[in-house]
Amino acid sequence: MRNVRNLLLTIIAVILFALFLDKAPLLLNGYWQRILNLIAINAILALSLNLIYGITGMFSLGHAGFMAIGAYVSALLVLSPAQKNSMWILEDIYPFLLNVNAPFIASIILGGLVAAFFGLLVALPVLRLGGDYLGIATLGFAEIIRILITNAARLTNGPLGLKGIPAYTTLFMSWGCLGVVLLCTVCMLRSNFGGVLRAVRDDEVAAKMMGINTFKIKVIAFTLGCFGGGLGGALMGNLITTIDPRMFMITQTYNILMIIVVGGLGSVTGSIIGSVLVTTMLEWLRFVENPITIGSINIPGIPGMRMVIFSLLLIIVIIFRREGIMGMREFSWNIFFPKPKKKVGKSEREKSDKVLELENITLKFGGLSAIESLSFEIKRGEIVGLIGPNGAGKTSAFNVISGFYKPTSGSIKFLGKSIGGLSPDEVCKAGMSRTFQNIRLFGHETVLQNVMIGSRVRQNYSWWMTLAPFVFTDVLREDGEVKAQALELLGQLGLEEFAEEQASSLPYGAQRRLEIARALATKPEFLLLDEPAAGMNPQESEELMNFIRRLRDEFDLTILLIEHDMKVVMNVCDYIHVLDQGVHIAQGTPAEIKANPRVIEAYLGKGAA
Amino acid sequence: MNLNIFIQHFINALSLGSLYGLVAVGYTMVYGILRLINFAHGDIFMLGAYFVYFATIVYKLNWFVGVIIAIILTTICGLLVDRIAYKPLREAPRISALISAIGVSFFIENFAVVVFTGMPRPVVQPPILMKPIEFENGVRLIPLGILVPVVAFVLVGALLWLLYRTKPGLAMRAISFDIETTRMMGVSVNKIIALAFGLGSALAAVAGIMWALRYPRVEPFMGMTPGIKAFIAAVFGGIGSVPGAMIGGLILGFVEIMSVAFFPTLSGYKDAFAFLLLILILLFRPTGLLGEKLEDKI
Repeated sequence: MRNVRNLLLTIIAVILFALFLDKAPLLLNGYWQRILNLIAINAILALSLNLIYGITGMFSLGHAGFMAIGAYVSALLVLSPAQKNSMWILEDIYPFLLNVNAPFIASIILGGLVAAFFGLLVALPVLRLGGDYLGIATLGFAEIIRILITNAARLTNGPLGLKGIPAYTTLFMSWGCLGVVLLCTVCMLRSNFGGVLRAVRDDEVAAKMMGINTFKIKVIAFTLGCFGGGLGGALMGNLITTIDPRMFMITQTYNILMIIVVGGLGSVTGSIIGSVLVTTMLEWLRFVENPITIGSINIPGIPGMRMVIFSLLLIIVIIFRREGIMGMREFSWNIFFPKPKKKVGKSEREKSDKVLELENITLKFGGLSAIESLSFEIKRGEIVGLIGPNGAGKTSAFNVISGFYKPTSGSIKFLGKSIGGLSPDEVCKAGMSRTFQNIRLFGHETVLQNVMIGSRVRQNYSWWMTLAPFVFTDVLREDGEVKAQALELLGQLGLEEFAEEQASSLPYGAQRRLEIARALATKPEFLLLDEPAAGMNPQESEELMNFIRRLRDEFDLTILLIEHDMKVVMNVCDYIHVLDQGVHIAQGTPAEIKANPRVIEAYLGKGAA
Repeated sequence: MNLNIFIQHFINALSLGSLYGLVAVGYTMVYGILRLINFAHGDIFMLGAYFVYFATIVYKLNWFVGVIIAIILTTICGLLVDRIAYKPLREAPRISALISAIGVSFFIENFAVVVFTGMPRPVVQPPILMKPIEFENGVRLIPLGILVPVVAFVLVGALLWLLYRTKPGLAMRAISFDIETTRMMGVSVNKIIALAFGLGSALAAVAGIMWALRYPRVEPFMGMTPGIKAFIAAVFGGIGSVPGAMIGGLILGFVEIMSVAFFPTLSGYKDAFAFLLLILILLFRPTGLLGEKLEDKI
């Protein structure tokens, strides 16, 4: 009901706006029409950069370069052969280019596609870098593209640029393109794939453990964003009608970055509001650079003053309201209506006796051995403890088993198959999941979304289907199923009341349980728990023991856990392995371990036994 | 290419490279401590050059006096930028400070357009620095070409002494390692950060002044390209490392001058080499030549 109502309201709003655009040439002068066009183009650019940076968390400063590609591709396709002949003065145009032509719509889409292609070429090597390095590398690529355009005169007419591009970008064109981009973006971000994008931003390590190939996700998001950059650039060229390499300096990227920061990083609504505000402000501020006459006083225009005021405003915004206007929130019709409430659906698999077999695992960092020839097996249905003093190599062992570290030597078999060279996402797909010592939730997402992201690995639809879920209804159906399962899982773990809360706002104990729920959503056979009782009081750890046994029985799991709380370990584990300084010093039932002098010595020092 | 021309190119590359290095040192110190790319650093460099222009041409001061006044004023500007635009954002996500830096950069550039106008201005070149020296084998050198690297090396040497042999230097290194722990050791963190900005700005001023002498003019956007290149030099050398920044600057200077010297047809692509070099090193050695690896703890 709520969805039908919201859809109706959206359609009404779109129709009203289309009517406004239709009458705009009568209502507005050329100056305001141009601003309206620029708003739509800037919004497309902002959405695409926001997808790369705000949503997926890749700091990119290369947008101007991709805009340039789009603008040139489109311009070269829409210019007539006669225009091209008269424009290339310094050098002759390549003969094949002279007669190439395409309709406007095809030219802007091609502009986007060529930009996306270059984006993909850039992404494959560069996205392995993180953080600021990525920003600098993408900035470098944008500059290289600009320098190539300046120098490849036979292709681009060099520094002179292209003039007389037909002004095909009408209000309906620019806003129509924005409409399509906006619809696709919103659909994608609302699907579970959108949740995956945000998960990669919030915590890449945890996302990998949810079976997500984070590198692939980043390449997809980056390439899509570059498409948007190329499309925006193409529209811009056909609006301004001249382009030259100096239009696409780093300043252009900064402008788009400002829009998304002012609007709110990661918010689609924010990008739209940001482009309205920043575009209008930049144009409106032009008045300070024009001479003004008030009565008899004549104030001459001050060149440069516009950007001085603008940059001051930007600094003030960032200091006093750094999350921008929208933060990470989105617009929804629901804010005009009070909230209603909601409801809940089930699953299985085959057998193999040994779940995990480690043989002579050694892990070295430089000359230091974190783990030395560790060998043990874990049988189906067991709860096994891994204990040892600080620095014993327990978490390192977890990281090796779950694929974050490659062992220096030795073999790991999971369900009878070697998983030695697999990455964490592949290990997860094989049926293993884990939690982390320092809880790693996707903090900005809701509890429900956190669990749904865990289910993405079991979904069949491809990412591109999410751009048009009304055509590929699998997206809607599968997301619906996943949501129902996630709610059921939350119910089993006593977290249903928090479903719509932001994950980082949960109490500590609930966050631990949520991390387990998220791990369970990947439907593992084998679960690794890294210090589940850390920070719990005696009563909470009592509950935890029952909870772990219940997990094993209800979800048919095998569990390996690291724990310092000996009461928990001795009560819940069937079998215990002890590490000390990377060496496997003992194993046995809880009773045997308690009586083992080597274990006591490791914990308390020589002579204590 | 004869020896004379090669030596000219060599000296040219050495002085361009050491200018990049001097600016890069400022980037690397701030990044090492605050993990902030100080986009305004190139504009601080520009201010240094303008202050000399005003002191010598407008106020007719002696050149050396003008240089000293310019360095002091530029340092004050660097400190003000930190105090006004970055200090309120110390606890904020890093992107906030980065956006603020972009804002400051825009502000300084356009403020310069408003106050100094966009027209390029000439620079006083002290004759003693410009009179060519002839050697008997026909090699001709301009004293400025030798003075620039000498000044740069002496200054960076002094900075290294300060970093590794004095208490404030120790504090600065400690902060880049762990700011919270350093605070708890009783170090006045904000003062040390200000010191880093001050030192970086003073070095940028010196670089800006010498840059203006090489291309004898100043204009509001003169800091943009050298600024970005110096940052590349800092990344190349391993961001956070002062010797790395200097080495990165020198390599960049040599690549730029020598590529054009040996392949004149590629001169239009000169600026692309710097970026290409950057991307290559990031791909094969992401932490730069002398940088340390920062790892995400699981």
